[in-house]
Amino acid sequence: MSDNRIEGYARGLFEIARAEGTLDEVEDELFRFARSFESSDALRNALTDEQIPPAKRQAIIEDLLGGKATGTTTQLISMVVGSGRTRDLPAIVDNLVARASAAKHQEVAEVRSAVPLTADQEARLTAALVNATGKQVNLKVVVDPSVLGGLVATVGDTVIDGSVRTRIDQLKSRL
Amino acid sequence: MSVLGIIATAGRWVAEEEHIYTDADGNVVTHSPLLPETAEIIWGGLASVIIFAAIYKFGWPVMKKSFAARTEKIQKELDAAAADTSSAATEAAQIRTAKGDIAGERARLLAEAETQAAAVLEDGRARLSVEVAEVEAKAAADLVSAQSRVGDELRAEIARLSSAAVDHVVTGSLDDATQQELIENFIARVGASA
Repeated sequence: MSDNRIEGYARGLFEIARAEGTLDEVEDELFRFARSFESSDALRNALTDEQIPPAKRQAIIEDLLGGKATGTTTQLISMVVGSGRTRDLPAIVDNLVARASAAKHQEVAEVRSAVPLTADQEARLTAALVNATGKQVNLKVVVDPSVLGGLVATVGDTVIDGSVRTRIDQLKSRL
Repeated sequence: MSVLGIIATAGRWVAEEEHIYTDADGNVVTHSPLLPETAEIIWGGLASVIIFAAIYKFGWPVMKKSFAARTEKIQKELDAAAADTSSAATEAAQIRTAKGDIAGERARLLAEAETQAAAVLEDGRARLSVEVAEVEAKAAADLVSAQSRVGDELRAEIARLSSAAVDHVVTGSLDDATQQELIENFIARVGASA
């Protein structure tokens, strides 16, 4: 999909969420779903299979997110799947998150962790990243088992890597 | 019939015409059949002398010339035979000389062949020595290369096993407490890096 079309979809989703007054929540849920979509082959195959009718794929979305996410999030994802743009969902969501962060004068800070962070840890991590980068950040935590341990934070072009995975890779390289 | 025969026959006819007659008793008397008449002897002798004289005068020079020519021819053949004998003797001497030369040439060729064989043998030994040295050097280099390769493979295998061990040990040691400690350390480190 062209950048213009991705941007158009992101702008549409952004406006809908903002109009509903659930932008922060929807943005966060969309971000998490996009990361799950990227990391799960089964989910990606099921939602991008052209042999499965769009209505059935939308039903899958309803089953997955029903009761776990806001209705707006579920409907927005269902709309993207129904329009046949499922493959572009991560790009659309990233654009939406960046747009939402910019609206709040923040920069997206994507943090990958092997285990979920507590609210307290997220708050302290946000403060630490603000302190380290001098920017207001919109923290997005992605649970990624490949990290093994520790955290990897990406703020714009800055990457702060404290993961066990990277340390093991460095050790293997020296070996 | 020869001329001598003709003359004798003619003399006999003359004598017979004179001496055949019939005697008083009516018998035919002839000359003795064995003894010739006198005239016949004279005529025959004369004819013989003439014939022999003619033969001596005309035939003898021819015969003599023929004998001389034959003698000369035989002499020439004898001379040619003698020349051939001499030539054969000379050729035999040359052959004997050549035979002696062949023996010398054979000895020279054998000596030259032996010299060349010795040179070839010496050259082959020298080349063989060089090749042996090269093979030994190559074998030594291959050995060093193989040692290096085996060392590299061994190090790679150790690294692979170490990596697997690191993965296994680290993953096994990452309990919840360690995870939380890593997260807290990261937050503290980032917070302190301003």
